[in-house]
Parts: sequence; C-alpha cells; structure tokens
Amino acid sequence: MVTQTPPRSGAGQAGPTGAEPSARQVAGRRWRSARGVVAVILAMVVIAIILAALRPSTSAQALDPESPKQDGSRALAEILRQNGAQVTVARHADDAVEAAGPGTVMVVTRTERLTNEDLILLSNAQADLLLVRPTSFALADLAPRVRKDGPTFEDADEPGCSLQAATLAGAVAFHESETYEVRGGSATECYKTEYGSARVVQVQNGAHTVTVLGSASPLTNRRLTEEGNAALGMNLAGAATGSSVVWLVPDLPESGSGAGQESLTDLLPFGVKLFFLELLVAVVLVALWRSRRLGPVVAEALPVIVRSAETVEGRARLYRAGHARDRASDALRSGARERVVPLLGLPRSRAQDPSAAQEIVTAVARRTTYDETYVGAALYGPEPLDDAGLIALSDVLDDLERQVRQS
Amino acid sequence: MALTGRLGLLALLSAAIPLFAPSWWTLLIVWGVLLLGVAADLALAGNVRALRFHRSGDKNVRLGGTAQVSLIVENLGRRRLKARLRDVWPPSAGATPRSVKVDVPAGERRRVEMTLTPTRRGDRKAVTVVVRSVGPLGLAARQLSRAAPWTVRALPAFPSRRHLPAKLARLRELTGAHVALIRGQGTEFDSLREYVDGDDVRSIDWRATARRNDIVVRTWRPERDRRIYLVLDTGRTSAGRVGDIPRLDCSMDAAMLLGALASRAGDRVDLLAYDRRVRARVEGASRTDLLPAMVHALAPLEPELIECDAAGMVSTLMARVRQRCLVVLLTELNTAAIEEGLLPLLPQLTARHLVMIAAVSDPRVGEMAAARGDLASVYDAAAAERARADRRRLTAELRGHGVEVVDAPPEEIAPALADAYLALKAAGRL
Repeated sequence: MVTQTPPRSGAGQAGPTGAEPSARQVAGRRWRSARGVVAVILAMVVIAIILAALRPSTSAQALDPESPKQDGSRALAEILRQNGAQVTVARHADDAVEAAGPGTVMVVTRTERLTNEDLILLSNAQADLLLVRPTSFALADLAPRVRKDGPTFEDADEPGCSLQAATLAGAVAFHESETYEVRGGSATECYKTEYGSARVVQVQNGAHTVTVLGSASPLTNRRLTEEGNAALGMNLAGAATGSSVVWLVPDLPESGSGAGQESLTDLLPFGVKLFFLELLVAVVLVALWRSRRLGPVVAEALPVIVRSAETVEGRARLYRAGHARDRASDALRSGARERVVPLLGLPRSRAQDPSAAQEIVTAVARRTTYDETYVGAALYGPEPLDDAGLIALSDVLDDLERQVRQS
Repeated sequence: MALTGRLGLLALLSAAIPLFAPSWWTLLIVWGVLLLGVAADLALAGNVRALRFHRSGDKNVRLGGTAQVSLIVENLGRRRLKARLRDVWPPSAGATPRSVKVDVPAGERRRVEMTLTPTRRGDRKAVTVVVRSVGPLGLAARQLSRAAPWTVRALPAFPSRRHLPAKLARLRELTGAHVALIRGQGTEFDSLREYVDGDDVRSIDWRATARRNDIVVRTWRPERDRRIYLVLDTGRTSAGRVGDIPRLDCSMDAAMLLGALASRAGDRVDLLAYDRRVRARVEGASRTDLLPAMVHALAPLEPELIECDAAGMVSTLMARVRQRCLVVLLTELNTAAIEEGLLPLLPQLTARHLVMIAAVSDPRVGEMAAARGDLASVYDAAAAERARADRRRLTAELRGHGVEVVDAPPEEIAPALADAYLALKAAGRL
C-alpha cells in the first residue's frame, strides 16, 4: 500500500513503515519494554510481604508483670508476691537500678529497648540479674562471657546441671529457645541441647550473679502452667530466697536520648564519603554532557490556523443558545424556497419576494401530496413554538423539496 | 567545548577507587587524571576554527518534492578533523540526516549531502552549521557553530496544473488553431477567404466580394494581447482554512492556472498581492517567464491577520494600469469586508475595467446545511442557510455592478476560474 503511493509531503513520511502506530501498539510496546522492571518490583514487594509475615511478632505488653494477656507475666508476679517476695515493676533502667539493692534479683526483659547508657547503668547495678532472652548487645554488656549459639526448637527434659532453680523445676517447656555457650571461666549451664549449648546459663560477673534465660515462654501467663515452667520462673526470680524482685520492662527510649547521638555522617566510613563526592562529580559531568546541545533550538514561525467555517459554526451556537427559532426557521424556509423555486420554473428572484408567496405555494402544492394550507404553513408560516417544532419543520421542508425534485 | 559521555562514565567508574583507598589524595589524583585527559583532548582535537564551509545544490523545490543541498567542509588546519556535524535547518525544511560524522584530513575537503523535504511553502534558510570535534581520547570535544547561509525556496505545489492540458485544448478550439472558426465569437478580424458551403452567410464580406469574382467571407479570431491583472487578497479572510488548506493557497493555485492559460492564449498577465501594502508583484513578464515568475513571487506569501485595505488596492491598481483590462480579484465573499471595503469602490473600477471576483467556498457550510437529526444540527443548518443566503445576496449585488463572480469549492476553483476566463474570451468581452 505504501510503496504504491509516490512520496508526497514530508509529514507523511513518519518512519520506514509509514503507518502511524495505533494506541494499542504503542501501549503494547511500552508494556514489553517495561515488563522486566515491573516483574522485579513485584517480586520485591512479594518478598517483603512474606518476610514481614514470617517475622515473629511481640505485642507491646509482652512479659509485662502487670499484663493479664497471654504473653504478659502477671501470673508469675502474683505468685511471687504471694510467696512473700516484694515485686517492684520498673519502666526505666534508672528506676530499676535505684530500686535494686544487694541481694535483689532484677528481671531484665525486652532488652532491645535498652540504650547503651541503660546497659552501662545495669552492668553497674548491685543486684543479681536475670536476663530474659537478651539481645547480643545486652549480652555483651551484662554477661560478656556468654555468646549466643543459635535457636533451638527441641524440648528439654532434664536440667542436667547443678543449678538449684533448674533441678527443682525439672522438665521445662521452653518451646523456641535461644541457646548459649560460655567462653572461659566457670559457669553453670543447664538444659543443654545435644550439641552442648545451654538454654539457661548462670555466670558470675564480678560481685553478682547473672542468669541468662534463652526463652521468654516459661514466664508468660500462657505457658506458666506447662511442665515446670512456674517453678523455674519463681526459682530464677529468687522467690526461694524471699528477697525483693525488680522487674524491668523498659519503655521505648525517647528519641534523642542515649543512643543515636552520632549522625549518619559519623557512622559512614571516610571512603564512602569520598565515593559519594566522586559520584556527585560524575553526575555533574554526565549532566554537562547531556545539556550541551549539538546546535541551537530552531524556532519555527508557524502559520495561524483559522477554520473558515468558524463564524458559521459560531452563529449556529448563538442561535441555539438564544433559542432563536424565528431566525432559524426563516433561514431554513428561505433556503428551501431558494432551491424549490427554480425547480418550479419560476424566476429565481421570486423566492424571497413576499408577494409571490401564493404563487409558489400553489405551484408546490400541485406537485406534492400536501395541500396548500400545509405547504403555506411550511414555507411561510409562523415561527415554531418549540425546538421539536423546529426539527419537524426542517423535516417537512426536506420532504417538500424532495417531492418537488422528484415530480 | 563539550564533554562526552565517556568522561561521565569514567568518572562514575573511578568513584569506586576511594572505597579501596580512602584518602583525599586518591580523589585529587583521580580528578587530576580526568582533567589531564580533558585538557589533552581539547589540545589535540581537530581545529574547528580552521574550517571553511561551502554550499551548492538546489535553490528551489516544489512543495512535496525533495531538494539536495551539499555542504562542503574544508579543513584548513594542520590536524585531522574527526567530528560530528549538524547542519541546522528549521523543522519545516525537513532536513535529513540530523547529524553526520565527518572525517576530514588536514588540507582536504569532504562533502556532506543534505536532503530537504519542505513541509510548508516559503523560504527555508539554513540556520547554522555546528561541528563538534572530539579529541583522540574521546573525553572532550571542541564545538563551534558557524553560519553557512543558503536558502531553499519551497514553491507552491500548483496541483491544478493537471487541468492545464484540457483548458489549453479548449483554448485552441477557440483560437482556431485546430478547428477553423467561421463566424468567430471573438472580435478581432483575422483574414478573408473564399466562401465554402456551410459558412455563415452573415460573415460574407460584401465589399470584398464585389471586388472579386468569388464570394469572400471574413474570418475572426479571439482577441490577443489583452491584459489580465490578477489581484490576490492576502488579508485576514485569506487565512481561513478550507479543509486543511488556507484560502490563500487555493487562490494561488487558481491564479497560477489562469496565468499559465492566459499567457498561452497570448494575453499579458500581471499579478499583485495586496492587503495593506503590496506583498508581491509580477509585471511585464514575458510569456515563457510568467509562470516561474509567479511561482517565485507567490512562494513566500503568507496570509496577514489584518483587514484588507480595498481603497488602497483599487488606487494601486488604477495607478498601474491605464488601458482596459480584466481584473481578477481572488478574495473571499465576506459580507462585511466586501460591503464596507470593495463595494463602494466598484463603480470606479468597473468603469474602466472588466472585474471578475473569484472566491473559494467552504464545503463545510454545505455539509452543515444538509445536517439534520438533532437540534444542534438543525441550528447548524439554519446558520449555514443564512451564510449561503448572505453569499447569494452579495453575489447578486456584485453581478448587479457588472462583476463576474466565480464561487466554487477549493478543488474546483482553479478550473472554474479558467472556464470563466475562456467564456469571456469566447464571448469577446475581454
């Protein structure tokens, strides 16, 4: 098709194929070029959702001794109180350290909320510490010799150690638990896995004892009744000694307090900063490369585009807006007369002559199926009463003209 | 000067170096190396200032055709020039290729061929020539733009030239070049010859018959050497588009056909384009020169968005032509413009000349007049009828002044005007 037509104006020669691509083709081409990127982004979103769903969730009140919820620890706290222990709940590390004296057992939960300063405070505290599933940071500060050795899901039957709290408790339902190994020095390791790492570790850190419990489950309301959980929890918390217990459930640290004093630039290695500087320079160079045009932009003096029929269309819209049925019907009638009169064999000048009206009406009526009154009303009648009347008039005039033409 | 993408890429890759050797010195060394490369490129690149440009090729092209313009690049420098060259033309010149790679050894010259396919009528001027000479490392370039003037004139396409052979055939019938006329409808006396059976008895020349023994008839031929003055209105009404073509272009086309026809018929044709001043003029062109002269005069014409000064046009016309001639005014039958401008001046013009007005009608008005169906189209029809009535009234008024009016849609205006001219010629009214 394209090859048969000789090349005309340059506007038609858009490309080698000649034909303009349809919107569907354009959309298809864009989709094909973008689908790789879209697929990668979709895959990333799916992976992110899966990871978020798999993450173990902890509620805000986990291990809170005042919470009666499933993962709270109110039951244990109450048992301790009934056994004569004085349970103090601390929400801040400083409060906990203040409340703790020699011989006190401090239960430290939710260590991920403790700042560096809190950890230093705690490590200087007088009390014995029970760390419930501590983070690596907390472990490094509070029990430097103990290292994490990975989680285990197996049940532990026997304590297999000399720790009294454990031997009294017997079998304990740890469920999922972190395990620990101890580097150097003496330590009591209980509930060992078959690989030798322990779920409960007690070490002597300076003057006070630090016990690390790998799982929070034995302390929660939900699991307290299982196996020897209650016993283990009470014994570790020091109920047997009848001393006071400080239960630390830290609140979220306020922003700007403690950790996070260093800005991002302090944390970045020097080389990375230089890398970004160099990157900036490269971006500037690329921008300079792209911005330098090969020659100027040429302005083209374009011709005005005025459609010739614009005034006629404007007049039609004005008629319509003003409901000018009189003008419109006059124009339609005179136009019809102008075409009909020569067909009747009358001089053209009679068409717009009011005195020739009867003559024209008679002649038209003779050649159509309508009577004179009807034709007179169509060709010379009053203005239509409404818009429907105007449309009907136009149809009647067309019909008259057609019949005269065919007669 | 210009940088290249290679420099940007190099800078990007070298950004990794400080990760392995984090020191300010590393950065300074990297930057120094890049800077050195750029400096070396700028120093060793072919000298763009030592270039000379020469042009040759087509100066005219009919709209829709292609023109070849060559640009000769002469390297007067001492180094070889490896560069990207762009010959900058306005977009409507349709210049290809957009840019070319040139390799000009020192002291030599190379030719760059440009193909121009103008998309609009008129003069297309070369803007400038830009040369970007890249250094041997490809990191930086020297860039310079320099004028190399050249103008390609896109001439009107003259699509109605296909009507010319038919009209010329009719003209030959009239002039008797093919078919002998008996009683010529023209007014010029041609010759005497013997009576043949079938000749019109009214054409017998009794005086000559009396002198000889044979019956002698006079033969006639159409007048020759009449003057025709084509006047194009380039005012605001000529800007209106009929279909997608401005009225002016249709008028031009019609004027060219009429000019070509009349010059073959032996008439003298002059041309004037006027709105408030003379935009183009062709006067006193010989028969063979007329069409090229007209095409060249009309090529750069554009409609002006101002009201045409009819008084100025008439006085210009009256001052230029003393003897009787056919004035063909190519304008628009716009009621306001004609009634206020031209109509009062017509008696002055028609007293001395024969006036013909040619106007392009818009088929869109006819479409609107035939529209039926909903209310909007009936009002459209009414407005169109009103416009047609105005046009009819104006035409009648003009004819009352003794003016010939040719009113036709764009594709028919040129042949219709030629027919009107041939009719006048046949009637001996020129």
